[in-house]
Amino acid sequence: MPDLLFEIGTEELPSWYVDEGRAALAQLLEERLAAAGLAAEQVRGFSTPRRLAVLAEGLPERSETREELRRGPAAEVAYDDSGAPTRAARGFAQSSGVEPGALEIRDTERGRYVFARIQRGGDAASGVLPALLAGLVEDLPAPRKMRWADVSTPFMRPVHWLLAMLDDTVLEFEAAGVRSAATTHGHRFLAPGEVRLRHASSYVDVLREAFVLADSDERDEATWRAASEAAGAEGLAAHDDPALRAEVRNLVEYPVAVLGRFGEGYLELPDEVLSTVMIHHQRFFPTHAADGRLARFFVGISNNRVTDEDVVRSGYEQVLEGRLYDARFFWDADRRKSLSQHAWGLSGIGFQKDLGSMADKIARVSDVAGRLAEALDLPREERASLDQALPIFRADLSTDMVYELPELEGVMARAYARAEGLPEEVALALEDGVLPRGPGDRLPATRIGAILAVADRVDKVVGFFALGKRPSGSADPFALRRDGLGIARVLNAQGWRLPLADLVLEGAAPHRANGMEIPAEGEAEVERFLWDRVGSLLNEQGMPVPVVRAAVQGSRSVIDASRRAHLLRSLMGHEEFPDLMALYKRAANLARQEERRRNVKPGLFRNEYEAPLFEALPGARRGVEALLAQVREALPGWDLASPPASPLGELGDGVRAVLALKAPLDAFLDNVLVMVDELEVRGNRLALLREVTEVLRELGALDQLEGA
Amino acid sequence: MLFQDIMLGLDRFWADQGCVIALPHDTEVGAGTFYPTTFLRSLGSAPWRVAGVAPSRRPTDGRYGDNPYRFQYFFQYQVLLKPSPLDVQQVYLDSLYALGIDPHAHDIRFVEDNWESPTLGAWGLGWEVWMDGMEITQFTYFQQVGGFDCRPVSVELTYGLERIAMYLQGVDHAFDVEYAPGVTMGALRGDFEAQHCRYNFEESDAELQRLLFDKFEVEAKRLLELGLVHPGYEFVMKASHAFNLLDARGVLSQTERQNYVQRVRRLSEASAREYLSQLGELETAPEAS
Repeated sequence: MPDLLFEIGTEELPSWYVDEGRAALAQLLEERLAAAGLAAEQVRGFSTPRRLAVLAEGLPERSETREELRRGPAAEVAYDDSGAPTRAARGFAQSSGVEPGALEIRDTERGRYVFARIQRGGDAASGVLPALLAGLVEDLPAPRKMRWADVSTPFMRPVHWLLAMLDDTVLEFEAAGVRSAATTHGHRFLAPGEVRLRHASSYVDVLREAFVLADSDERDEATWRAASEAAGAEGLAAHDDPALRAEVRNLVEYPVAVLGRFGEGYLELPDEVLSTVMIHHQRFFPTHAADGRLARFFVGISNNRVTDEDVVRSGYEQVLEGRLYDARFFWDADRRKSLSQHAWGLSGIGFQKDLGSMADKIARVSDVAGRLAEALDLPREERASLDQALPIFRADLSTDMVYELPELEGVMARAYARAEGLPEEVALALEDGVLPRGPGDRLPATRIGAILAVADRVDKVVGFFALGKRPSGSADPFALRRDGLGIARVLNAQGWRLPLADLVLEGAAPHRANGMEIPAEGEAEVERFLWDRVGSLLNEQGMPVPVVRAAVQGSRSVIDASRRAHLLRSLMGHEEFPDLMALYKRAANLARQEERRRNVKPGLFRNEYEAPLFEALPGARRGVEALLAQVREALPGWDLASPPASPLGELGDGVRAVLALKAPLDAFLDNVLVMVDELEVRGNRLALLREVTEVLRELGALDQLEGA
Repeated sequence: MLFQDIMLGLDRFWADQGCVIALPHDTEVGAGTFYPTTFLRSLGSAPWRVAGVAPSRRPTDGRYGDNPYRFQYFFQYQVLLKPSPLDVQQVYLDSLYALGIDPHAHDIRFVEDNWESPTLGAWGLGWEVWMDGMEITQFTYFQQVGGFDCRPVSVELTYGLERIAMYLQGVDHAFDVEYAPGVTMGALRGDFEAQHCRYNFEESDAELQRLLFDKFEVEAKRLLELGLVHPGYEFVMKASHAFNLLDARGVLSQTERQNYVQRVRRLSEASAREYLSQLGELETAPEAS
């Protein structure tokens, strides 16, 4: 069982592609090997900034043999009257590589045909692999390939070498203008030049000797260990930021930690400013002391082990000081004005050409936020804080700091608000209002901030939809889906039972007041768009699609929908509930026959099965109410991007009360003929069924549950 | 190493690599990429190697000389190699020796940085080169120029000369860099920088620049239609600079700004088209989708 090694050596890949490309290459190789009948026992991927590699262990020596049936001419033209094969049959046999006598006749949907049995596969792996590997270079998926020189095969970055070995033998081929060989390359500076491999399986060890850690996990651990040790030397801890770690390890082949420091005076800058400058601009690890406070040391991960580390350290320090110098300059300059003064600058920042400036936008957001505060009955003190926050919401957009470091929007609003002595609730709300910035980001912690966050996003979504700029397919140039997801998550986390339709209406009002035409259908479209976001968040949490549909279609607010989804999933897991749903479906189909609503009249009961069902209704209704109350209590509001803080748990008495409907309903449906000639009796029976379905439909749009 | 010795060292190095050492073009540009020796010559199939200092003007980047790194007028060192040689990274690292930098003694990294110039209808993929955390060079494989796919692909290297000199001389501000013996960059350029910043941000006559832009645009179109690529393209550069001045003056709304960008882009594309046409390669040039 030989091992196959394939490495594509390139110029420095984008750091984000080092992981993505490794996974793509391993997957593509696995697929192609399987398709060629050469499935390996195990495929492992390796990658550094200068290489993507795969090791496929336990390959068969020869490709799997399999038999294929090839269809030839119709039977009637394949044999002459004497039963001898015709020229057509002989030609087909020859082209299929079998004797004419070996052809067989089979019935197919289109008639009788002759078939040849062809043996495929059994080819030596070493013969199949060169073309297969060349195909990987051509077809490796990548989001943005480039061309170089006059090479016709595009790739992520120019390809320099191809290492292809089956055990100890080179697999020879050419791709992207390069011939394959048994050589790889060591570290650009620490072990420059070609390194010869004796055997495919020695790949990782040979490269380690050449100062290249090809295994991503190994490099990640080495990076983190080096950073932690360097910080530890000063009694500090390196800041463990997974995204930074992933990026840093993919910027080096051999991590070497360098500890540096910056001027003490910069510590007066807010921690977030210092971290952002260190992380986003320099990919340095900030460090902090045991009390969590940021220290004036940082760790840079170098890709080179040099004789005089001070050279690298002083370079790092000089660059960082330059950046911090700028940041402190902005910090000082920005604080010369109050946030109210910065807010004046918003009229000079465009939001969208048909939707005006940021100042126009914030005016609309204030309007919406005010109405939401009314609708949510915000307590008076909070309302006062909201009113204080509104005129300066997003005013930090016109500060120099945010202009230079846009990722600090919100963070700076909070910092500047504190610096000018505004109340802490206001400062926190100003930052909360821009949350969540993306899928993994935290949500507003304050209620005022949540109102700002929702108002800001609904203004944008409604405005862009009204301009016809809605997302389609994979194209979402204005990130409206991200805004929609933000709205859904914030509403759910707050547990507000605010109908989405009302929210859209509030969001549309200021646009309408500005003379924008938004038809009712336009509002409905935005509402559907928001419900789709709720649905996708629930789906991502593993909620079955029919349950999500039933929950969403049966609810008006996000929190009601998400609670119903949890309730319905739990009910569907109950052994008797699906039976009740089957009965519900039959009842609902019958009840649909009657358009008119009328009250059930017990006096019109003609049969022993009608009264028991009617009498079971109040109990079932109480059961449904008990279930909804239980789920409201158990799930007080949570971030929809994660599971609820505590699971729903066992359903209580409510479920028994609802299931008590099963027996009488079953008996009714089996024994009562509903569509009798006597109209009054028929109408009464339909009214009874309608009541049954209405009671159950409080649980959600149960019609969606088929197949759940 | 003196600033002028850095420029001379790079000239010598790239001359030895077979480059034409071109003199700075005498029209204001935002970057060396605008030079006809880069923009036009990167088009078409003929091999081409050129290098040289490219003084550049970006009015919006001015900080009155206060910021150690940012200026409205600065020096790039610009290299264009067509087709891109496979060993270009190594050649680049060798060029650092010419500046007295031993790449083995530093942390040198090629960090993804893609480039796009909406006004030139051009984009490319590549890196910024970090030396001990400082960006010292932009490295770009041109994929598209003037709206045409590049065949073959050129590679462009742009050294940030001020930064490299600051590093080599261990000074904190570009104006403290010693340009020639006893002459600092600040002595040469300090007044020029501060006054131009004042002009760009406070005093430039926006109405005049709008008028000039319109006239330059008309003239560029007229000349390109006459087949006068080089004079025509010169007016494209002039129009682009007029736009940059308007931008710095803060008088353009977002929409207007976008509009100007599109107008310059159309002129750039027309220049590229006419240039390729005169090379007799318009038919074979792959137009980008």
